[in-house]
Amino acid sequence: MIESPSALPNPNFAVQKRRLRFLGLTIDDTIRAFFGGNAFVAVVVLALITFFLFREGIGFFVQNRFNVELYRQAGLEYVDHIRRQADDHAALSRYLSDLRLRQFSILTEREKRSLADTNTALAPFDTFAEQFSASADPLRALLSDLTEQATALKTKFVVTEDRKEERRQLLAVGKLAEAAAVEIVAVDFARELQPLIAMLPTYQTANRDFARTLAELIERPPALVQVELASRLATFQRFTRDYVAGFPAIERAMAAWDYRQPVPVWHALTSFIFGRQWLTASFWQDWYGILPLLVGSLLVSLVALFLAVPLAVGAAIYVNQIASLREQRFIKPCIEFISAFPSVVLGFFGIAVLGQALRTLSQQSWLAWLPGFPFSERLNILTAGSLLALIAVPTIFTLAEDALNNVPRAFKEASFALGASRLQTVLKIIVPASLSGIISAVLLGLGRVIGETMVVLLCAGNRIAIPDFTQGVAVLVEPVHTMTGIIAQEMGEVVRGSVHYRALFVVGLVLFLLSLAINYVAQGIVRRYRISIG
Amino acid sequence: MNPATHLFQAKVSGARRHEKWVFALFRFATYFVLFCGLGVFLNIVAKGSRTVFKAEAPFVNIAFLTQAPESLYLFEWEGQKREMGDREFRAFKAAHPAAAQVPTESYVYSAGGIFPCIVGTVLLVLGSMVIALSLGVSAAIFLIEYADDGPFIRFVRLAILNLAGVPSIVFGLFGFGMFVIFFGWNVSLLAGWFTLAFMVLPVVITASEESLKAVPKGFREGSLALGATKWQTIRKNVLPYALPGILTSSVLGIARVAGETAPIMFTAAYVVRDKLPWEVDHWSDFFFQGVMALPYHIYVVSSKIPQNEYTERVQYGTAFVFLIIVALIATLSIVLRNNLRDRYKW
Repeated sequence: MIESPSALPNPNFAVQKRRLRFLGLTIDDTIRAFFGGNAFVAVVVLALITFFLFREGIGFFVQNRFNVELYRQAGLEYVDHIRRQADDHAALSRYLSDLRLRQFSILTEREKRSLADTNTALAPFDTFAEQFSASADPLRALLSDLTEQATALKTKFVVTEDRKEERRQLLAVGKLAEAAAVEIVAVDFARELQPLIAMLPTYQTANRDFARTLAELIERPPALVQVELASRLATFQRFTRDYVAGFPAIERAMAAWDYRQPVPVWHALTSFIFGRQWLTASFWQDWYGILPLLVGSLLVSLVALFLAVPLAVGAAIYVNQIASLREQRFIKPCIEFISAFPSVVLGFFGIAVLGQALRTLSQQSWLAWLPGFPFSERLNILTAGSLLALIAVPTIFTLAEDALNNVPRAFKEASFALGASRLQTVLKIIVPASLSGIISAVLLGLGRVIGETMVVLLCAGNRIAIPDFTQGVAVLVEPVHTMTGIIAQEMGEVVRGSVHYRALFVVGLVLFLLSLAINYVAQGIVRRYRISIG
Repeated sequence: MNPATHLFQAKVSGARRHEKWVFALFRFATYFVLFCGLGVFLNIVAKGSRTVFKAEAPFVNIAFLTQAPESLYLFEWEGQKREMGDREFRAFKAAHPAAAQVPTESYVYSAGGIFPCIVGTVLLVLGSMVIALSLGVSAAIFLIEYADDGPFIRFVRLAILNLAGVPSIVFGLFGFGMFVIFFGWNVSLLAGWFTLAFMVLPVVITASEESLKAVPKGFREGSLALGATKWQTIRKNVLPYALPGILTSSVLGIARVAGETAPIMFTAAYVVRDKLPWEVDHWSDFFFQGVMALPYHIYVVSSKIPQNEYTERVQYGTAFVFLIIVALIATLSIVLRNNLRDRYKW
């Protein structure tokens, strides 16, 4: 660039023109500063995004620690030991009913028995299942008592805190009389928790009876109608024995439990990062764990990339290396046109057409060998992933095509001159030479897909739970919720300043940092592995 | 072998067949993508055009394009199935008092039209593009014309690159935290404008830089040699040649702005609003009002109301109108750019 004349030392010209100066700046300097300021806006915006996400989100960790602390102090943690025990029992009951369903379908479909006949055949099994389910009744009664007590204590504490806040506000505006009128009853946790802890001997007695009943039940299992299901029944027996064997550990944990045990400071952070539950507005205890959302986001993105990468890179290679000029002029604008599809329209397409179409496809008998087929949820990871693939393809295609374009002509010519065929040149010279660019294109595509909101909000099924990975690839037809989706869905409904509100900002912060990291890695790959053109 | 072939005739070998197959695979990938895109487009167009167009004159469903959304009422009257919008139904009840007792089914937003949404989207796009263009073009001028390479400029470029990768929902959260809460603008046009403008800023800056770079160096050198100042050079000899390029490339940014839902969800969009944007008491209220927007309306009608033949009309109709608007903008930018490429050759 040429130095501007004003920067030169001022020689003695015959005609001299005084430059207008304002605050020591000439007009040109001012203009330059103005443009420079505009360029700086990008930096400012990035800084502001970081600042405001932190500003709204950082309070989450304080409030969440308080949340977790209250969970312990009000005895909810104590009661949850028993709750977990009851939940495990329910899971075993579900296993039994699944076993019944299998027997039922074999009897009716394979052996073509009538409905009444089948039910008669399964009657002993049903009696067993009922006995098994009823064995936990005393435990459940105890649990519901304790739940009520703990919830009452928690509510009492929350009300007290609200009153304190009210008095503080009244004092702040100088209404002393009103402030004094606000009644505050300090919650004495030690006294209030006494009845809860006093339940322990009752629980231990009940537990012993429970264990004995289960052990007796499990020793005389019902005769199965089909022999091939015997292994499942054996598994059930093993599970139940393990379950009963776990009882003493629970009792020990409850006996050792102490509400005064301090909650570590980092617990607020770890319960967020490693928390396996995102549970809000629950009557019992709210949990803000990002894991189910992160897993959902990643699964959907992986499906999208798995579909999009071969298509996009293949199309880029085709357009750049193989297609005729006329084909290029047709295909490139078309793919750009696809990139202009609004994501909300794609999401609507998923709800209205694709979800149903995929489900119908999965119910075809000739596709039954595929894992997870047939599935019943219309909106799931697969539906959202396929639509996201359509969003990712133009991004990856454009960047990958650029990377292929940047390979010097000489490489290709040299390859041809050595007698390589076109295929050899493309696959062994051009693609490896531009591999760094292609990989960074894929990464940027990943960034685009993870940050996409509307498609996953409308089509991913919005079930907040870590999907069941034990079923292998079939996990891909389960509904999930994602980080972007949860922000879009819950932001409009939360109370400003609440833990929930701040938790959503922290999820946004995680997304922001994730996108920065992806960008950083993509740029690093391009810089580091760029082939030198010399 | 055909005896007429000459010595250097390519032989049909296994390797060549293999090559053909692999290339066919690549070609298949390309056309499969185009096919999927076309499928989505045609599905929306085919079903949406039934709502927007009619068989008889004037062929366009004017009510759908010029009215506000209403609830749809379904009921049986004198043995016939009737369906009416909210206002029509009220008038009908006034005329036939017995109709008030008839059991009805109702679906929100399924009657009337989408006029306020179209207006809101146009306002959002125009405002945010004005802001984004003025910021983006100035930034590009600085980066290309003034800046010398240095740590500061590399920092700015890094920021622009990273800004381009930030998810749109994060922009929405940021706009909510800064404009809606911190500045106290509430859910308003102004908050939406700035949020969207910051989101497309990287696109506009990159497009402007490309166009400025395309103006030959000789234009600047000639002007400076004749004694013009830097600013005079830029204003008279660079910008006029770069501006068409800047504008056409920015049109693609417009398409992106118009298509985004997540950033305006908490900053500018209302689910429903009775008044049109210009029906305000005081002119300054104009900037601080929320609006209805097409993308948000599509989200609302596709997720909050059940899917059936009555609601399908408004769902597909809205999606169709929106898709056509965005597609027109995108096509315009692509055509303009191709024309420009042929026109300016230095």
